[in-house]
Amino acid sequence: MKVISKKDFNDFITTLINDESMDTHGVKSKGEKFVFGELESYEDLRLDYDTTILPPKKYFMPQYETLMHCKLSSPFDINEDEPQKPLILIGVHPYDIIAINQMDVYYCNDDVSKSYLDRRKNTIIIGSDVLNIHDKAFFGSMNTGQVKNGYDLLLTDLGDKIAIEIGTEKGTDLLDKAARVREASDVEQQKVKAVRTAAQGKAKRGMKIEPKQWYSLLDQNYTSKVWKDQSDKCLACGTCTLVCPTCFCYDVNDEIDLNGESKRVRTWDGCLLRQFSEVAGGEIFREDIKDRYRHRFFRKGKYLPDRLGFTACVGCGRCSTQCIPDIADPVKVMNLVFDNSETFIHDKEKQPTSISLDSIEVDEDKAISLHHPFPATIKKVEQLTEREKLFEIQLDSGKSLDHDPGQFVEVSVMGIGEAPISIASPPKRKRFDLVIRKVGEVTNKIHEMKKGDKIGIRGPFGKGFDLKQLKGRDLLFIAAGLGLPPLRSLIAHVLDDENRKDYGKITILCGCREPCEVLFDKEVRNWEEIENVEVLRTVDRCSEGECWDGETGLITKLIPKANFDQKNTYCMIIGPPVVYPFCIQILLDLGVPENRIIVSLERRMKCGVGKCGHCQINNLYVCKDGPVFNYTEVKDLPEAFE
Amino acid sequence: MKPKIAFFDFASCEGCQLQVANLEETVVDVADVVDVVEFREVMTEQAEEYDIAFIEGSITRPVDEKRLKAIRKKSKTLVALGTCAHLGGVQRLSNQWSAKENLKEVYPDAKRKDITKNEFFEKPRHKAVDEVVKVDYVIPGCPIDRTEFIKVLVALIHGKKPPIPDYPVCVECKKKENVCLFTIGKFCMGPVARAGCGAICPTHGNECEACRGYISHPHERAQIDVLDEYGLSADEIMHRKTMFTYRYIEKEKEESK
Repeated sequence: MKVISKKDFNDFITTLINDESMDTHGVKSKGEKFVFGELESYEDLRLDYDTTILPPKKYFMPQYETLMHCKLSSPFDINEDEPQKPLILIGVHPYDIIAINQMDVYYCNDDVSKSYLDRRKNTIIIGSDVLNIHDKAFFGSMNTGQVKNGYDLLLTDLGDKIAIEIGTEKGTDLLDKAARVREASDVEQQKVKAVRTAAQGKAKRGMKIEPKQWYSLLDQNYTSKVWKDQSDKCLACGTCTLVCPTCFCYDVNDEIDLNGESKRVRTWDGCLLRQFSEVAGGEIFREDIKDRYRHRFFRKGKYLPDRLGFTACVGCGRCSTQCIPDIADPVKVMNLVFDNSETFIHDKEKQPTSISLDSIEVDEDKAISLHHPFPATIKKVEQLTEREKLFEIQLDSGKSLDHDPGQFVEVSVMGIGEAPISIASPPKRKRFDLVIRKVGEVTNKIHEMKKGDKIGIRGPFGKGFDLKQLKGRDLLFIAAGLGLPPLRSLIAHVLDDENRKDYGKITILCGCREPCEVLFDKEVRNWEEIENVEVLRTVDRCSEGECWDGETGLITKLIPKANFDQKNTYCMIIGPPVVYPFCIQILLDLGVPENRIIVSLERRMKCGVGKCGHCQINNLYVCKDGPVFNYTEVKDLPEAFE
Repeated sequence: MKPKIAFFDFASCEGCQLQVANLEETVVDVADVVDVVEFREVMTEQAEEYDIAFIEGSITRPVDEKRLKAIRKKSKTLVALGTCAHLGGVQRLSNQWSAKENLKEVYPDAKRKDITKNEFFEKPRHKAVDEVVKVDYVIPGCPIDRTEFIKVLVALIHGKKPPIPDYPVCVECKKKENVCLFTIGKFCMGPVARAGCGAICPTHGNECEACRGYISHPHERAQIDVLDEYGLSADEIMHRKTMFTYRYIEKEKEESK
């Protein structure tokens, strides 16, 4: 630990501010509150602040961030903004440093976000111990008042001098710019320790349970009356998520300007907002404010611990301060849930293992621009029904898409946006098929396209069907409406001459509303001709004058008519949300074991890489953990089939 | 062929059209992508049909309804421009009283026959544009935001849905890192008002009055609770709610009948 006099510290900061090669930001006042912002002089810096309105996440994931831009006339000449100057960020409190460590794990696990990593590597963090504690802060209760890593330098204001802990080599180099830096004495080290202990001790607000007990408390109280009672007062304004240092969800939109330039822009989003889970067809999967309100607490205390091994709350108190009806405060809410929980048991067995944030390893070579699409060409367009068209697509790279049946891609129309579309053709072909229904502005645009036009493709994404598991089995397919295209990917694969011997009896049930909506009629009839394949077709209704030779009635009626061995058959269901509960119940009643039922679920898959948060079904990310799920994975999730 | 656009005004201060006329250097870029065929504030020409008609103002009298319907017939896309066209504007507050009372209040010295025999004084009631004809899109705000106008125009040219947000002003206000007005003893319609203005009023320390109307599903009950908690009388709450949003009050009254 080093020590520097206040005067020399003043000079040090002034040197940094005057250095044109970098931006120096720190905590300064805004009215009676504080914010991180550009420092004009040493006097701006307020190390005595209690908390800032927004957390420093705004530097790594800005409120509005241009991910790419291009001319609409040449949409695949993709450009990115010039890299910014190196940034020095002064005064970050320990709890916020821990939040940044969590953000590192979130954005750099699995699919590493290049834009995030670039900003992160471009920033020097000078932390600061907390001198004044905000009355809503509870980082003492969350054990986030002290920090071991995640800073380059860490300051402790000791009145007439500043103690400086060095965290990294970058920190050492920076401190070279300061004059008369000396080693801290034992007494000074003791003083620093006392400041930290005092902050940690004071920032407690009577939370009745330990942070590590949040998991069990939430796990046992999904149906607590607290969620409804509190959310009745909720304005659903999104404030609690926007000001939170550990809320990382975002939205992505394409914009066009007057000169025909297109930008893909990322903005902060929040799960409390109504449109958060809305899909192009208009369905909103968490429409009730109660569900959104609960989701926020579950994401912090259960879902992220499940997925990444940390509780996503650092006790900064920003949500509690800024929630107008005062219902966002984790201390208050956890205590309420605890008080209303008759039998709370801290179930250590169930608790996921916590990860250490002390050393976060990032595979920098894996970093990619997550939202940049690859150019592809439409090779064929076929009108299937009034609303659906089939597009045969080839990547301009010449490579095969290399997908598994059941996976999906994000299709880009530059300037308009992206839409998640299931792949409708079997793997290992140079081209792939997408069946696209005209339901939103992206799909409307795609419908206007013709052979030879260019579109953007990201993916394939998600988990498809487990072919190994299906090998040697009989298969039953239940395809309702637009459920047929994704199942066609698997059906065509298993019926392929090369693979047919690997599977037993194939039963295919197809249903849609009316004869005019029937997809792939000829192809389905061809399947029927293959040996040991049974096909049953139905429409909900057939108007007079329409020609239909299949059954009439709901698809559920076909299941008992199909001749399949309940003990040796894997059943795949894809259709609109309404079909799942009914079909699953019939299969279970017929004696099909739970783990032989496989479903594919639709949610708002926006990023495709498990970052933006829109597609969550409780703790699962449909874009990564799905869309194909074994029924046993989702049957106990309240949000799966509501 | 560049799309033909036109501007029309009804009962309003014409401030929204002024926002467009004041686009300054951007006007040149706008002229590159569209043909402005009618715009009384800046030109005298008229046209036979419009790809996009922007309507400013509330619709007040039968004679206005007739004119609006004629414009609608000639327009492929019709956009309500600003709060008056969107909600009926501040002038909608006069709907609380009868047409007769209003005329007496405004023209106390007028002779009875001058008023009753004149189509310009016929039953003035303020309506939003969509209460008279089909409105395809709305650019809300008093006045409209110039940047948003451009965004909507470009979106329409490219066959895109205009990007009018359906989340509350709080979202933009938080992103701007403003000091929340509630925390300094003021109150604000931000939690239920439609964003898109960049939270311009709270950014300058002024309370949001929901000139852009409400978001599509506001938790209004909660908003009233909040205002209640901050020591406001029901009357004050109603007052806050009526400045630009009397349309919603009218609707509530109608529904409770």
